[in-house]
Amino acid sequence: MGGERLKIILSLTPPLLIIITLFFGGIFYGFLQSLGYQPAIGKYDINFSAYYNVMFSERYSKLFWTGLGLNLWVSFASTFLAAVFALFGALAIRKTFFAKTVCNFIYSLNLPMPHLVVAVGMIFVFSQSGLLARFASQLGLINSPGDFPVLVRDKYGFGIILAYIWKEAAFFFIILMSVLQSLGENFEELAQSLGANRWQRFRYVILPLVMPNLFSASIIVFAFSFGAYEVPALLGVIYPQMLPVMAFEFFLNPDLNARSEGMALSIIIALIVMILVVFYFWLTQAKIRKD
Amino acid sequence: MSDLKIIKLVKNFVGMDRPAVNNVNLKINSGELVAFLGPSGCGKTTILKMITGLFAPDNGDIVLDNKSLLPIPTEKRGVVMVFQNYLLFPYMNVNENVGFALKMKGIDKNVIEKKVREMLDLVKLPDIGFRRPKQLSGGQQQRVALARALIASPRLLLLDEPLSNLDAHLRDEMRDLIVTIQKELNVTTIFVTHDQEEAVLLADKIALIFDGELQNYTSPKNYYEQPKNIKAAKFFGGVNFIKSKKINNEFISDIGKINYVGENINDLNDEINITVRPENIKLSKTNDFDHNSFKGNIKSIIFSGTHTRYKIIINNLELECSLQSLGIKNINQGDEIFVHLPKDKIWGMND
Ligand SMILES: Nc1ncnc2c1ncn2[C@@H]1O[C@H](COP(=O)(O)OP(=O)(O)OP(=O)(O)O)[C@@H](O)[C@H]1O
Ligand SMILES: [Mg+2]
Repeated sequence: MGGERLKIILSLTPPLLIIITLFFGGIFYGFLQSLGYQPAIGKYDINFSAYYNVMFSERYSKLFWTGLGLNLWVSFASTFLAAVFALFGALAIRKTFFAKTVCNFIYSLNLPMPHLVVAVGMIFVFSQSGLLARFASQLGLINSPGDFPVLVRDKYGFGIILAYIWKEAAFFFIILMSVLQSLGENFEELAQSLGANRWQRFRYVILPLVMPNLFSASIIVFAFSFGAYEVPALLGVIYPQMLPVMAFEFFLNPDLNARSEGMALSIIIALIVMILVVFYFWLTQAKIRKD
Repeated sequence: MSDLKIIKLVKNFVGMDRPAVNNVNLKINSGELVAFLGPSGCGKTTILKMITGLFAPDNGDIVLDNKSLLPIPTEKRGVVMVFQNYLLFPYMNVNENVGFALKMKGIDKNVIEKKVREMLDLVKLPDIGFRRPKQLSGGQQQRVALARALIASPRLLLLDEPLSNLDAHLRDEMRDLIVTIQKELNVTTIFVTHDQEEAVLLADKIALIFDGELQNYTSPKNYYEQPKNIKAAKFFGGVNFIKSKKINNEFISDIGKINYVGENINDLNDEINITVRPENIKLSKTNDFDHNSFKGNIKSIIFSGTHTRYKIIINNLELECSLQSLGIKNINQGDEIFVHLPKDKIWGMND
């Protein structure tokens, strides 16, 4: 027994070492930088001033807090809406073989598509010079393409949310389809014979059954959209600005001192996501313990 | 009252070369417990699903208390189905599972609570209301499923192989419980099984189904003594079939003339099969019988503890006979023996 365990530990050590060095080594070095430790430019003292600067200095605090607000809004809204769309989509077509095959195919194609491409697609379709705007003005629905509502590069992040919904709904959809497939229809048929109408079957049977999977998929999507850079960079505005974009601009700054702020901000983003994930694990663990 | 009539029911599935359910007719009286018996794939579940409304029949009608069920959606039929694998909602505790049907009706919480307790008592499972399905044994899960099905007083209870996932000892216990509860509540019930013994033990009547077609619908006793055809007889352990021809109101077979007085004598064709249960055949070393006595030779003797089974050859026809305990003394393989087929114990079948 003990020998077995030792064997397992020994055989796992090389890959673990690589993971630990690359991953935690990188994070640790970044963390050091965020504390102002930058030997390259002769800075060796360690302090939290970069964190303070990002969150509370006159120069950055407004940008940071509005950015945080925007981040939370965009991530929550896009995750929630993508999950809802995917759920209703999956429920609507799961029994029709043809639609299921087609949607599975389209969504599977959508999955590996880079977010960047989706973002450019959004501009192409939804911007004031995009397809929809021109189409609407051609039809006379609006006077000129400029009257089209600002859906891309808007200060509420609608364009970003749209892009994320488009992209993440595919992810949710594929997960939900496989969950629904494995559940089969027996639970619903049973509930129906016990007198549950369509809404009740959704509310008391389907939803609780898919919730655990939906929830963990949401965490993944939320964490991703909270920390991703390319979509808000393309579809966002200068102010308010989402945090990953703000962090990236720190790194682009030729002043190497700004690198500490960039790292500090990145670590704040990572921390927020981690707290949410831990909270999620605590929630699910508490639930499992109750079972 | 819940009289169920199934009328010329037909269901086809794409990809099947015969109908899954083919022209099934039967009537179940209020309060009866009827078993649907048949091998896997014969259409038992399909019929149940048509009664609940989960499948729409291609033809025919299902009538409950002189009113067709077909236009009524499943959730309003008052027909509850219990599935083979229990299907307790994993995210609900036992109380919530049992109370489900009442909750769907929007009934007051306190009323539900009281009724749930009653149902759990009925299935002899008090004190486990707050457990989760995962924490229950298979037998307990099945009882909870039963309580959940019965709570809203269904007009019809459909049990789809409720015992097949249980081990032998639990199965006996559950079977008795089902019969007891069914009689106590007097709920019209259909019980699906592919186990002939189970059907005999619990049903008032058995509907025997092969390949989507109803073969026979009668009491368990009749399956042994008056089966409708060879298939039905064989399914219930019938082994002795004697081809006979009706000539001038007499039945002539390979073993000789058979004296037949069965009540179906006037419905019989010219060529029939006569069957007799192994346990109804009498044997003797001397010819002591006044009718239907045939001389044969013993082919084999097998002692099985409670019975002794003899295989006897009479004029190329093999008959099996089963006598209690040790059977006849001092008799050996190859010996001559007289075989008696009592006229009130033999039964003729057209096919
Ligand atoms: N939804 C369906 N689509 C297509 N064919 C089906 C469907 N449901 C059942 N069948 C077919 O209909 C036939 C009867 O099936 P059914 O489930 O009624 O059998 P059963 O008697 O309940 O068998 P078992 O004892 O194995 O449960 C089978 O051949 C089955 O393959
Ligand atoms: Mg079945």
